[in-house]
Amino acid sequence: MAFSRRNFLKYAAMSAGGTLIADAPFFSARARAEAEGGNVRYVPTSCEMCFWKCGAIAKVEKDKDGKDVVVKLEGNPLHPQSMGRLCARGQAGIGQLYDPDRLKRPMIRTGKRGDGKYKEVSWDEALTYTADKLKEIIAKNGPESVSMMSHGSPGDYFTNLVKALGSGNIAFASFAQCKGIRDAAWELTFGHKPGSSCERVDLKNSRVIVLLGTHLGENMHNSQTQEFAEAVGNGAKIICVDPRYSTAASKASLWLPIKPGTDTALLLTWINIIISEELHDKAYVEQYTIGFEQLKEAVKQYTPEWCAKETDLPEADIVEAARDLGRYAPHVVIHPGRHAAWYGNDAQRSRAMAILNAILGAWGREGGMWLPANGKFASFNDGYPKYPDPAKPPVIKGDYPFAGGEGLTQVLRDTIITGKPYPIKALFVCGTDMLKALPAPDLTRKAIDNLDLMIAVDIMPSETAMMADVILPECTYLERHDGLFKVEARQAGVGIRQPAIEPLHETKPAWWIASELCKKMGLTEYAVKDSWEARMKRQAAAWGVKYEDVADKGYVTIPGSEKPYITADNQPEFKTTSGKIELFSADLEKHSFDPVPKYEPTEGPEQGMYRLLYGRSPVHTFSRTINDQWLWEIQPENEVWLNKKEAEALGLKDRQLVKLENQDKVTVGPVRVKVTERIRRDCVYMVHGFGHNSPRLKRAHQRGVDDQQLITRYKVDPITGGTGMRVNFVKIIKEA
Amino acid sequence: MELNIVGANAITYPAMHVWDWRVAIYLFLGGLSGGLMTMSAINYLRPKKNFDSSCSWQITLLAPILLSIGLFFLNLDLERKLNAFWFYLAFKPVSPMSWGAWIVLFIYPLMILYALAALPKEVKAGIKNRSLRNASDAMQPHLLKLAKANVIAGILLAIYTGILLSTLVARPLWNSAILPVLFLTSGMSAGAAVMIIVAKTKETKLFFTKVDIWLIVAELIVLLLFFYGHYVGDAAHRQAIMPFFSSSHEFFPYFLSIVVLGVCLPLAIVLKFLEVTGEHTEELTTSGLLLMNASAVLVLIGGAVIRFAVVYAGQLSGYGGYM
Amino acid sequence: MPRYVMVIDQSRCVGCMACVVACKRENDIALDHYRTRVVEMVKGEFPRLRTEMRSELCNHCASPPCVNICPTGASHKEEDGTVQINRHKCVGCKACITACPYDVRYINEEHGYADKCSFCQHRLKEGKEPACVATCIGRSRMFGDFDDPNSLVSKVLRENSWRVLKPEVGTKPNVYYINQFPRKS
Ligand code: SF4
Ligand code: SF4
Ligand code: SF4
Repeated sequence: MAFSRRNFLKYAAMSAGGTLIADAPFFSARARAEAEGGNVRYVPTSCEMCFWKCGAIAKVEKDKDGKDVVVKLEGNPLHPQSMGRLCARGQAGIGQLYDPDRLKRPMIRTGKRGDGKYKEVSWDEALTYTADKLKEIIAKNGPESVSMMSHGSPGDYFTNLVKALGSGNIAFASFAQCKGIRDAAWELTFGHKPGSSCERVDLKNSRVIVLLGTHLGENMHNSQTQEFAEAVGNGAKIICVDPRYSTAASKASLWLPIKPGTDTALLLTWINIIISEELHDKAYVEQYTIGFEQLKEAVKQYTPEWCAKETDLPEADIVEAARDLGRYAPHVVIHPGRHAAWYGNDAQRSRAMAILNAILGAWGREGGMWLPANGKFASFNDGYPKYPDPAKPPVIKGDYPFAGGEGLTQVLRDTIITGKPYPIKALFVCGTDMLKALPAPDLTRKAIDNLDLMIAVDIMPSETAMMADVILPECTYLERHDGLFKVEARQAGVGIRQPAIEPLHETKPAWWIASELCKKMGLTEYAVKDSWEARMKRQAAAWGVKYEDVADKGYVTIPGSEKPYITADNQPEFKTTSGKIELFSADLEKHSFDPVPKYEPTEGPEQGMYRLLYGRSPVHTFSRTINDQWLWEIQPENEVWLNKKEAEALGLKDRQLVKLENQDKVTVGPVRVKVTERIRRDCVYMVHGFGHNSPRLKRAHQRGVDDQQLITRYKVDPITGGTGMRVNFVKIIKEA
Repeated sequence: MELNIVGANAITYPAMHVWDWRVAIYLFLGGLSGGLMTMSAINYLRPKKNFDSSCSWQITLLAPILLSIGLFFLNLDLERKLNAFWFYLAFKPVSPMSWGAWIVLFIYPLMILYALAALPKEVKAGIKNRSLRNASDAMQPHLLKLAKANVIAGILLAIYTGILLSTLVARPLWNSAILPVLFLTSGMSAGAAVMIIVAKTKETKLFFTKVDIWLIVAELIVLLLFFYGHYVGDAAHRQAIMPFFSSSHEFFPYFLSIVVLGVCLPLAIVLKFLEVTGEHTEELTTSGLLLMNASAVLVLIGGAVIRFAVVYAGQLSGYGGYM
Repeated sequence: MPRYVMVIDQSRCVGCMACVVACKRENDIALDHYRTRVVEMVKGEFPRLRTEMRSELCNHCASPPCVNICPTGASHKEEDGTVQINRHKCVGCKACITACPYDVRYINEEHGYADKCSFCQHRLKEGKEPACVATCIGRSRMFGDFDDPNSLVSKVLRENSWRVLKPEVGTKPNVYYINQFPRKS
């Protein structure tokens, strides 16, 4: 630690006494720096080690050459997403900042795609090259042949560019590969997503919490995990439905190790039990919902006895859970989950979860889900002109009537491969390692092969980035302005991202890169007028908040925006077609989908195969953080979880190296097997994001294995177009 | 049980390995030089029949040399050797480490003065350095007192090597009051063994052979008590001696050490017994000499094995662990 | 003078490792070395399992064997109840490492001195909680002055049954554990 002289003097001064110890309150970055004096600065910003955007405070000191160094990151106590705390990844943000393997300079490919040969060039050269190529492609194929795939913050700036060019072919992996399916299903039911900045679950006040495949704790979303722990501390009853004994399951009163793929059966049975035992919130159902009678009819067939067989769970447990939900309703919540792309019928499962919450009266109730904060943000686009109408209709929604505006990455990919209905020849890949994010990576490779121009905007040399023709190195969140952000927790507020230090190497903020490209493409009117910070100031003015306040505190609340629970004068608004909670969905019926969810069995593994399940680690965000020194140290590789009895049958010992082969004969490995009682016998589990193939990621390279390579098949959800990925099976091969 | 630890340090997990052969050698040489101090002094003090001068004066020099080598190895183990002077800027009465540092300060002068006093005339005559000769002359009258002091100091030194470990409450194998006694008997018997090897006359050799028999018998009894004490102790102590009696191949070295001790020490006794009771001519026969030296070497091996086994196995022992 | 103690509510630890990383950053600890760790123990057979989460660190014992064994006084007890190491005096003899029943010490390999958790003394003096406590996602770790009857820790220790680790060694730890397992309601 930098044991500075200033600190030393202070110790000397204070060693006489000073007993205070309640964490020193944080009111303002300036005030704290002044209190500590000397060469330390505090910069409030927003973490981007994952997408929760926690308020963070960077502590910046000067090193002996007088250069600014970020020495520590802490949670901002004023910020509702962090509540003063950062998770392991947030703490390790410095590791990304100072990672020697970062992309440092713009590069243009010189070798064949994928062989990693690049020349470093100046920004001007890289941007000119990109612009020239884009112009060529547009001249030949039209502007709609330019597209983007993104996950994370650079996407916003490039969305602007791509739209300004006249293309609507923009897709975010967060929809089809993650939570889009759920969002669409909840919009069909409640007319709202279950949350924007975070799920609106009132965990800390809940009496019963149902987690369905959601492994809070391992799935580290800061404030939510904090509230989960609070619930555990409060003695809430936690019912954890998961084929694997997750950390959350270890806190649960009831762990239901469900047979994978049968969750909808359980949910519908619960609905049946609750309705037939009249445990639902009758007044609430009467007042706010439509379609109760149809629901009641539709779920009659799902008896506990049948369910026990289907889900491989004890009947008594199934019934007990339903009764507990009924007993404590409405102070109960069925967590909507996040990653919902499981089996290809996921929208209906998400609907069943939404409906269960609805009949228990959880929406808008204490301990259930709080109502959206009522913060008014004036729309602000800094005087950009309207985007031209896309020359040809975008392909990104495929034939899926309820696909969201974030687009379907796999449909974009298919279009690139087939060239139908029109060719797509240029692709911006912003902040996503596509090969690890999308199922069937072979198809992703094929799509890349079909491109005339691939541009990667990223921080780390991921395998995907290292396939690009032009690599534009973005700086990390600690080196740039982003935002302002709307933060929608119980209260609405405004968060900020601002640089703790100047960009290292020759990296640039994504807003600058996109803006410069706009200029080069002759779209000056869409470029950033002056600086992003100046734009943020104008945005703050438009939103009616003081920019200096946000910059100094890191977060300001919109006063009076917190209206969490239903009261006589705080009535919920449901933005569905009927204006009510739609237990029965006419919209779905119109598109000939089941208006009330039905259970469809999922295909199980063949003899000798296991269903491949994947999930998260609390110390990594997908594949993005594996190379971070502090996180890599804690978890450098993943393991395959295998039930102990199965391991015995296969003659496998804990930590032994194995290979995995999927139904399509794709093999990965070697990887260590974790022999455990913590998982069912019919599935194996691994943490997603490992097995990096890019040799430039020196730490992460080839540590552990990549689940995505085994996910050669996916089943598309017909309602939303989400890609169900838990439909792959693997065999375990002993390493010789 | 499934155990998952994030944040363990390699120096302590899965097993502690803080001290290694360097410390074991130090403990062995420390005990041995203590044994030599005591034994050589006894050689002076015993009612002489046939005084073997050559034997004693060499030994008096050997003791400080061995101790120095031991301390050299100990110093090798220090992670901050240049900071060693701090040992002498503090005296910590509860720290046996601190005592150790200070004890050495008292023992060295005793050893050296004694060695000076013990220099035989013919050797002294060969010394060129006058002041050394004068010092030796000055010490000569105090030989008897110095010898008595050396008997005590040698015992203290040998005991000390065991005390250091025995105060470490966190390591049940070491945390036994019998350990210092074990190291004492082992140090003394090793001292006697070296006397046997170095001594020229048959009479001296036989004398120390007899002494050694009793010391080895004592050592064996103490060794048994050491294990017994652990066996009847709490769970941690009982667990601590497990490596010595385990058939698991991971603990094979410890099992082997018990076998070696179980063979070496009794065998040495038998050999010595044979020598003492055997018919002897005036001069030792070559085979008789060989036998004597062989048995002495067995004793030395036993002494070293005890130190190594205790140093290493002690670090495997601990309280609780993860259960 | 205060008497600093830590209280760890095991049932609330979510195994997120934020504490481990925060500690490493705060105290600039080298690769593969740690001052605090998180232990997860799962017992039983599928599907009847039970988990104990336990974060561990230096116990800042009232009767510290490491201080007793230290030959130079480098390891010492301070007035605020914490056990600290004066790096300048450390000779690297490692006796303290073997003396600690909790295996929380290690050698700083660059400089050779023994090192361990300091309860983030430098932060305490700035009125801040230790880094691991300040960031604990589960609010499993609590910290404060035991002698202050109004502090959170003394309140929690009054209201809960607590235990310390390896009490049989007689070290009188200042890190207390409550709620070994989550309540099953
Ligand atoms: S949850 Fe962790 S990684 Fe994500 S934004 Fe918050 S601190 Fe950063
Ligand atoms: S108190 Fe400080 S030094 Fe100790 S474990 Fe916590 S963070 Fe690390
Ligand atoms: S930060 Fe808290 S909840 Fe997370 S592992 Fe550490 S002790 Fe447990």
